[in-house]
Amino acid sequence: MDINKLKKQWQDLSTAVEGIDYSVSGHDYNVSLERDKVRDFAALMLEEGFYLVDLMAVHVTPAIEVVYQFAHFEARCRVLARAFVDDNSEMPTISDIYQGANWHERETRDFHGVVFVDHPYLYPLILAEEDVDLKPLLKDEANLKDVDAVRRKPPEPAPEPKPEVKPEVKPEAKPEAAKSQEQS
Amino acid sequence: MAMDVEILEDPKHHRYVLNMGPQHPSTHGVLRVLLELEGEYAMELLPVLGYGHRCHEKIAEHKPVKSFMPNTARMDYLGALIYNHGYAQLLERAAGIEVPERVEYIRVITSELNRIQSHLLWYGAYLLDLGAFTPIMYAFDDREHILDILEDVTGSRLTYCYFRVGGVSKDIDDKFVTSTRAFVKRLRSRFPMYEDLVNGNVILQNRLNDVGELTPHTCARYGITGPLLRGTGVAYDMRRAEPYSIYSQFDFEIPTGTKGDCMASFMVRFHELEQSLRIIEQALDGLPEGPIMTPKVPKKLKIPAGDYNSSVEAPRGELSYYLVSDGSDVPYRLKVRTPSYSNLSVVPEMCQGMLLSDVVSAMGALDLVIPEIDR
Repeated sequence: MDINKLKKQWQDLSTAVEGIDYSVSGHDYNVSLERDKVRDFAALMLEEGFYLVDLMAVHVTPAIEVVYQFAHFEARCRVLARAFVDDNSEMPTISDIYQGANWHERETRDFHGVVFVDHPYLYPLILAEEDVDLKPLLKDEANLKDVDAVRRKPPEPAPEPKPEVKPEVKPEAKPEAAKSQEQS
Repeated sequence: MAMDVEILEDPKHHRYVLNMGPQHPSTHGVLRVLLELEGEYAMELLPVLGYGHRCHEKIAEHKPVKSFMPNTARMDYLGALIYNHGYAQLLERAAGIEVPERVEYIRVITSELNRIQSHLLWYGAYLLDLGAFTPIMYAFDDREHILDILEDVTGSRLTYCYFRVGGVSKDIDDKFVTSTRAFVKRLRSRFPMYEDLVNGNVILQNRLNDVGELTPHTCARYGITGPLLRGTGVAYDMRRAEPYSIYSQFDFEIPTGTKGDCMASFMVRFHELEQSLRIIEQALDGLPEGPIMTPKVPKKLKIPAGDYNSSVEAPRGELSYYLVSDGSDVPYRLKVRTPSYSNLSVVPEMCQGMLLSDVVSAMGALDLVIPEIDR
């Protein structure tokens, strides 16, 4: 596995390739894909000897995001690839490339209603047949977040291990908002 | 022509569907497999899942991250501490929490005891599937010691919830150390007996050799990890490949096979018992004094926005937690990648054209725990 060559190939297929700090995120690379390149990407990964760790979806705006995770048997290289579904919640299947994706895709269809085009048997796996339209992991409007809200914020100039969780900006912003309301 | 011969020779009776499970003893939990048989040969297999679905991932999205810990133990009830470990590590990594050294040692010792316990149960139950009744009695005899040891320190016998974010809930004492050392000695003295009693048995050899063969490429296509993968000759173990906790400090081997058949994964699991004992011994020797909890873990643990992954080596393969956080103390999305899920998905391909009795051998070699698949 030649990582530099591989990175170039990823860049040709994707909109962004980002190296990530493993000790913070548990991944080495994040790859953002267009829908129509997902199959090419999966084929490349299989050719390079990667196995499919997981396939899942996250419900965000503007669209449901399908997340693919890959890792390698020989060297540590954890790759996370993402792609948005289209307006009909459709996504090309990779179950003919990675046969293990077959069940993951059926499960994603159960939980998020993502339709994997050309899947050989997109039948409920975890949920019962009568719950086929339940889509339990879709967020309701009050809880639905924009995709930027669940992305990692740009790292600070000197990333140090923090012993304590830094308080978010939100709690500070709230009292101010309340104050301004009182003033008005 | 006799009636039975007439029926047998009618082509419309050549293929029939047999429903195995969800209550069949050899499926170890509520797994159902539809088998299309021709005579005694399974031509098509269709596993049917979801009987034990408890919405763990949905539950996770509705409560603070820290309170999901008991749920992790209920996915794989045989590897509960290792599931604890992966989840604790995920939150520690995400929130940037350092763990005291003594905690890491305690985690490794108890996790490895848990792994041995899981392998011993598989050993007994697998041989029971294959028609050998006695070994399960011996295996349970040994396993009982581990349950007693872990019960003393964790408070439960199966679905442990012992690890906390930044530590463990209770310190281990001298009694734990002495009884663990005694157990290590005892189990090691029993290995020759297991080998005599079981491993060389000609019936076992005939039932396992050349059955359910896998290749590294098949494993990559299906995402198969754990002893099944190591049985094909790939020395891939998360404890070595992505050393978490303090596993990089210990001297242990990763047993591998060559042929990738049931016998290979059988022997890999058997040899892993000894390797786990080695890790426990080294950890007991090096056990430092110190606190068992990181001070200042906030009660309301907020995870910075972003996504996090934590992978550990469960008894059945790679376990991964994937957390998407929006900056609050409740996960936006939590996905658990369980090893049996990917391992079982190979069954339709692996068992095609097998004798029905070999299907039982091959599925037993997967060491299935169905609740971790259904979640």
